[in-house]
Amino acid sequence: MYERPVSGLEAKTKSRSRVIVLSVNGETHEVMVRPRHRLIDVIRDQLNLTGTKDGCQSGTCGACTVLLNGRPVLACLTLAVDCDGKEVRTIEGLAENGQLNKVQEAFLDQGAIQCGFCTPGMVMSATALLDDNPKPSRHQIDKALEGNLCRCTGYNAIVDAVLQASGQGGVKPVMK
Amino acid sequence: MDQGLNFIGKSFKRKDGPDKVTGRAAYTQDIRLPNMLVGRVLRSPHPHARIVRIDTAKAKALAGVKAVITAADTKGIKHGFVETPRYPADQSVLAQGKVRHVGEAIAAVAAIDEITAQRALEAIEIEYEILPAVFEPEAAMQPGAPEIHPSHPKVAMKENWANIGGKTETGWGDVEKGFAESDYVREDRFDCQLRTHGYLEPHVTLAHWEAEKLNVWTSSMGAFVKRAKLAKTLDLPFAAVRIHKSYVGGTFGGKIDLYPHEYAAARLAMITGRPVKIVITREEIFQAFRHAQPLIIEVKTGVKKDGTILAQEMKVINNSGAYRGSGVVVIFLAWGFTMTAYRIPNLKFQGYSVYTNLTERAPQRGHGNPKVRFAIESQMDMIAEALGLDPIQIRLKNARDAWEQLPNGDNTHQAGLKDCIKIAAERSGLLAKYGQSRKNPPADTIRRGVGIGISSYMGGTLIYPNGSGVIVKMNDDGSATVLTGAIDIGQGSETVIAQIVAEELGIGMEDVRLISSDTDTTPQDIGAWISGMTYVTGNAARVAAGNAREKLLALGADRLGLEVSELGFGNKSVFAKANPDLKITYRELIAASIATKRGDTVIGEGFWRTMRDEPAHPSLATAKGRWTENYAYSAQVAEVEVDLETGKARLVKALTVHDCGFPINPALVKGQVDGQVSMALGHAFMEEILIKDGYVLNPTWLDYRMPTVHELALSEDVDVITEKYQVGKAYRTKEVGEGLVSGILAAIGNAIYDATGVRLHSTPFSADKILAGLRKIERQKRQAAE
Repeated sequence: MYERPVSGLEAKTKSRSRVIVLSVNGETHEVMVRPRHRLIDVIRDQLNLTGTKDGCQSGTCGACTVLLNGRPVLACLTLAVDCDGKEVRTIEGLAENGQLNKVQEAFLDQGAIQCGFCTPGMVMSATALLDDNPKPSRHQIDKALEGNLCRCTGYNAIVDAVLQASGQGGVKPVMK
Repeated sequence: MDQGLNFIGKSFKRKDGPDKVTGRAAYTQDIRLPNMLVGRVLRSPHPHARIVRIDTAKAKALAGVKAVITAADTKGIKHGFVETPRYPADQSVLAQGKVRHVGEAIAAVAAIDEITAQRALEAIEIEYEILPAVFEPEAAMQPGAPEIHPSHPKVAMKENWANIGGKTETGWGDVEKGFAESDYVREDRFDCQLRTHGYLEPHVTLAHWEAEKLNVWTSSMGAFVKRAKLAKTLDLPFAAVRIHKSYVGGTFGGKIDLYPHEYAAARLAMITGRPVKIVITREEIFQAFRHAQPLIIEVKTGVKKDGTILAQEMKVINNSGAYRGSGVVVIFLAWGFTMTAYRIPNLKFQGYSVYTNLTERAPQRGHGNPKVRFAIESQMDMIAEALGLDPIQIRLKNARDAWEQLPNGDNTHQAGLKDCIKIAAERSGLLAKYGQSRKNPPADTIRRGVGIGISSYMGGTLIYPNGSGVIVKMNDDGSATVLTGAIDIGQGSETVIAQIVAEELGIGMEDVRLISSDTDTTPQDIGAWISGMTYVTGNAARVAAGNAREKLLALGADRLGLEVSELGFGNKSVFAKANPDLKITYRELIAASIATKRGDTVIGEGFWRTMRDEPAHPSLATAKGRWTENYAYSAQVAEVEVDLETGKARLVKALTVHDCGFPINPALVKGQVDGQVSMALGHAFMEEILIKDGYVLNPTWLDYRMPTVHELALSEDVDVITEKYQVGKAYRTKEVGEGLVSGILAAIGNAIYDATGVRLHSTPFSADKILAGLRKIERQKRQAAE
């Protein structure tokens, strides 16, 4: 493949490009990354998994939350090289055989989605919480979602969705 | 809600929900095209400077740089948020000769990758001559202040102020006489901080010249406005500009009008012949993009002993930033929001829009109404207290009634304001709680308080493109494809339109598919920025679906040998009312139409425009002319908790009682209510863009705090139903997506007073302001004791 001439910082980092192996939503990918590449660059730009959103580029909004070995991380603050050999789950990997997971269903039932830009990150954070703790307290829900900004909903319907997904609080679907 | 409705008034799930919850929904940042270039914008590092020289030669010579543009590469055609004879277009797409705020766009580049584009920006040489700058509107108004633009000639003829972009001056009656006849008169001054919209999705634009057409994907709130502005500034026929649909990740007012990066992506794509994508960083948005409009409001009100308003005088000063933007709109709106809620027999209103060396302004949800309500509702409580009235009494005394003729020629129609106030009082138990914290303070340091605020809002006023069209195409199987220019920015327009079409046609929600927000394939639409989509586009959809239904009924009458009046419809069939078993399906009717009639397929079309007989929007300068035909009203109650030791206050519970006419989808309405309560509490307690010498000091969400899940407030809503939906008849829904940030802000301020006795005249209601107020009260108590 033709490579254009490079200089400066790029040249210094280029020589350190390396192949990493990632399991993403159950598929194994080998990708070539440079040290400056972040997990979000690999997910969105190389693997075309654009469900993971980029809202602030600085780890302040949570829209890029994905699961790394089951734990929620901000893909915009995670270096790709650090993910070598790890398992990544993104919003595209939650539904199984076309069946949405409980959190996704509950988001639809509760009207927890408006513009939808925070939704993938929010659903990933909530999924990680319930995987770890199927019956979280309200305080635990708040802690799990505190890094995910939502400007549309005021969070009311989102918290209700997590309660519904965890079968708590007597929350019933509000939408048909 | 009417019996017999199957879809209207029911909380159907969002049409776009499954795409959004699985990551399938493609936002502009997710769209990429083959051979795509990366675009970047070079921005001014100075708040006010003359551009002496620009040299792009080194940037153009860099390997991988495909194009560099400056003002010299544009046609020099100006644009503006407002473009009227009084307020002609005043903005260049790229700075010409001068920069007037930090972050103003000067040049743009297209390159093969991000690093190269960034290097190209750095290689552009610009020589500046720094000019004195001014950031506060009252300083900018002073004669002799640094001139950003000459004052508007109509204002300059009469007044000596500098930097006046525009003025709204209106009123009625005789305010001096009104004040003279008043038993009590008070004057107050209120102001507020600069806030931003906080849409999660950054601005992104992708443009590509293909098939003799500019194809554009951009994060927006109105595709047809974007097309008009791009076609104008690029000097292209409308037919040569296509705005495509992409999902939009929040707007709140901050994505209407034209932004320099949108022009730049388009122009660079035309020059290079390759797709160009410009992704704006969050820091750029904070530093260089349009924010909301901080208003200074001076209000003088005279009342009778029983609280009846006799006269009101208002002066509003808007810090409009470096260009006219929506600055001259917000001073008009401040008048509108003042006169629609309470009856004011004598009014004098003056609004000034003042240029400063900050970014020009955009509308922000509520477009000035939160600040107007904060001023008026705070003062209402102060007046009530001085007269020994309660907050409910004084509001009911002055609230507009149903069917009131307003001074501008509008009518309040079925205004539900008084019901909103009564229900809010009753449901919250406000009168039983009000004053308790001050009368019988609890032993600990936490104080609870309760307060009320009311507001009104207009819906779907006239501004380009004024009306909406919808086309409903019936498919062979009886399902419908709806073509609508409506843009779903999260409010749920596609779901609501589908509900209307399903109701009017008697088909299922799953039978309705939408093609939306594409300037080439869908009819013109007012867009999601003028609070009228459910009313205007919704009625157009109703007419279009009704038009298709009439055609189906005519075919049915033919086939069944009956009169149309003898037929009913439902379940994708036409049937005889007298004998429902005698029926024929839409599938059969459409097949028959194609096979045996003129070969007609069944297509319905519908159009709607608010105030059909009004030629244009009202005058922004004099407020003459009709404004809207559907005013929404609300009353909101806030319950707050204040910690006397730290001064920290928080919203515990919000009650919103609103008259949106009737809800087409109650759960979507509730979503709007909750979101507005949250946004208002951000306004009340958290958000502030800090500026020093024209530079934003906190351009990240770490330092500009927006509400998180920890700030969630309990939010209850009550819908006061004043209108109804009937199949085949025009309906009147009212605004519910932005006005409700207003009353609740005022209510929070009033509740803080109720909890602590501290009356705040500026937002945010920060801990230090509350502590200062508490200390002042302590001092006064000590002095009184001495």
